[in-house]
Amino acid sequence: MQTITDFMASDHRSCDELLVTVEHAVADRRWGPARAAFTLFRAGMLHHFSAEEAILFPLFEQSTGIFRGPTQVMRAEHAQMRQLLAAAEAAVAAQDADDYSGNAETLLIMMQQHNVKEENVLYPMCDQHLAAQVATLLPELQQELTSGRELAR
Amino acid sequence: MQALLSFDQAPPIAAPFRFFLTAPVFALLAGLLLLASGPQLFASRWTPAALALTHLITVGFMLQVMLGALIQILPVVAGANIAHPLRVATLVHALLAPGALLLVVGLLTSDPLALRLAAVALGLGVTAFLAAAGRALCGVPSGNATILGLKLALLGLGVTTGLGVVLALALDGAFAVPLLQLTTIHLAWGFVGWSTVLLAAVALVVVPMFQMTPAYPNWFARFFFWSVLVVVAGWSIAEVLALRQPAAVLASGLLLLVTVFAALTLHLQRHSKRARFDATQHYWRLAMCCALAACSLSLASLLLPEAAASLQLPLLWGVLVLFGSLMSVSSGMLYKIVPFLVWLHLQNAGGGRILAPNMQQVIAKRQIDGQFYAHLAALALLLAAALQPEWFTYPAAVALLVASGWLLRNLLAATAFYRQHRQRITSLARATPAPRPG
Repeated sequence: MQTITDFMASDHRSCDELLVTVEHAVADRRWGPARAAFTLFRAGMLHHFSAEEAILFPLFEQSTGIFRGPTQVMRAEHAQMRQLLAAAEAAVAAQDADDYSGNAETLLIMMQQHNVKEENVLYPMCDQHLAAQVATLLPELQQELTSGRELAR
Repeated sequence: MQALLSFDQAPPIAAPFRFFLTAPVFALLAGLLLLASGPQLFASRWTPAALALTHLITVGFMLQVMLGALIQILPVVAGANIAHPLRVATLVHALLAPGALLLVVGLLTSDPLALRLAAVALGLGVTAFLAAAGRALCGVPSGNATILGLKLALLGLGVTTGLGVVLALALDGAFAVPLLQLTTIHLAWGFVGWSTVLLAAVALVVVPMFQMTPAYPNWFARFFFWSVLVVVAGWSIAEVLALRQPAAVLASGLLLLVTVFAALTLHLQRHSKRARFDATQHYWRLAMCCALAACSLSLASLLLPEAAASLQLPLLWGVLVLFGSLMSVSSGMLYKIVPFLVWLHLQNAGGGRILAPNMQQVIAKRQIDGQFYAHLAALALLLAAALQPEWFTYPAAVALLVASGWLLRNLLAATAFYRQHRQRITSLARATPAPRPG
């Protein structure tokens, strides 16, 4: 069966893909497609956050009793990424390529170091502690992730 | 598990920055040494000045960048927090920086006291770091290749330093060891067992994620680190026992492993999805190209030892590995790590209420690009100086001074930016009410 690590890591990669699409559009100064691509990227990110904050993290916290550990840090980093998303969105709206690239580069590093922590540490811990619930958990997460994509389209 | 509970504890910015800001000072000293010793430095790789220059780059520049970066990335990549990071950083830095200077003085003057003091300071500094990092990593399972690579790299650092300490103590003839053999083994562990393994462990994460390339293939992640360890250990034993044939075969194996890593990295970077390359990516590509060139030179001298001995191959090789490869990749990484850390710490200072200026504002892009071109020019002139010392040593020394000074300038600009904005953001944050949760 698929692990939580594989499932969530593959959603990280699809968010990366969406960011690349925006980056190419902005680099070519195609602002219409850039805005559309950014909307998709933002929705992908926000629904990934909410799948974690509303479903995965509470389950992890309940089953391990660790409330002030990694999940708390991940929530704080989500908040920082939400701020960067807002700054990047404003730059796309203002058609300011330099400002976009500065915010997007910061967001990219923030995202990736966050993803490394999740994929190397937190998700494997989830797999370890939530093994019995994976069968029901993955479809729930899937539903939250896809609802984001559909809303954005 | 204990480490994971506090996996938010990013070390204070002063912990890695003291290493990052010290590193270019050693590169500047390397430029000054080249200027002072002139073309004789390139007479052979064994001249006191060439040995001193090598250690200004490896123990001075490289070790500072690598340990500073490790303090930062161990918690991120492995969930391994170094306890009391600022205290560890202060102690390690206070031992390594003077230790490197003493080593350089000792190598230049053959002064036994300087060499002994250097051996003690560097031995203690590295031991302190390894103890702190080892404690943090102890209990972290090596389930993924990067974590395994980091652990084996630290083992490589231990072996390299241990051999270096023995060599420094034995140089004045205090006790008899096979100096040449041990030097070769020290060098292989330093360049491959420590630096290449660390670089590959970091590359497995950094190249796909930041340069948006496909992932390194599974076979590479699974086999590379153990293969390097087994081959470098086997080769060291064959060298000590003077088993010529097996040593040559194992040495070729080691070269092949480094070649595979460099070629694979270049191949992945060709498939980067980023819209355009920045200085960090250019630095990485340059480093990998130089590593490939150095491997070809090593292979040539293995196959044609006599022809190689008469040429300037060892000096060319040294420039390619030290400046072309290791200094390039470190500079490239500094341009990502330093601005990101400035942003991160400013962002934390704002308590989520004030958005910090984004990382591209920390060091101006044209300053980074300019420094990269200065580095390229210095590389070209240093290679030329290895071939034609009479003509090119002085221009190469000046170019090295310019490139290193520019790097230092850029890192100091980042520090000044941090100080200036930290004050502004802290007072703004105090005056701004906390945001609604969520």
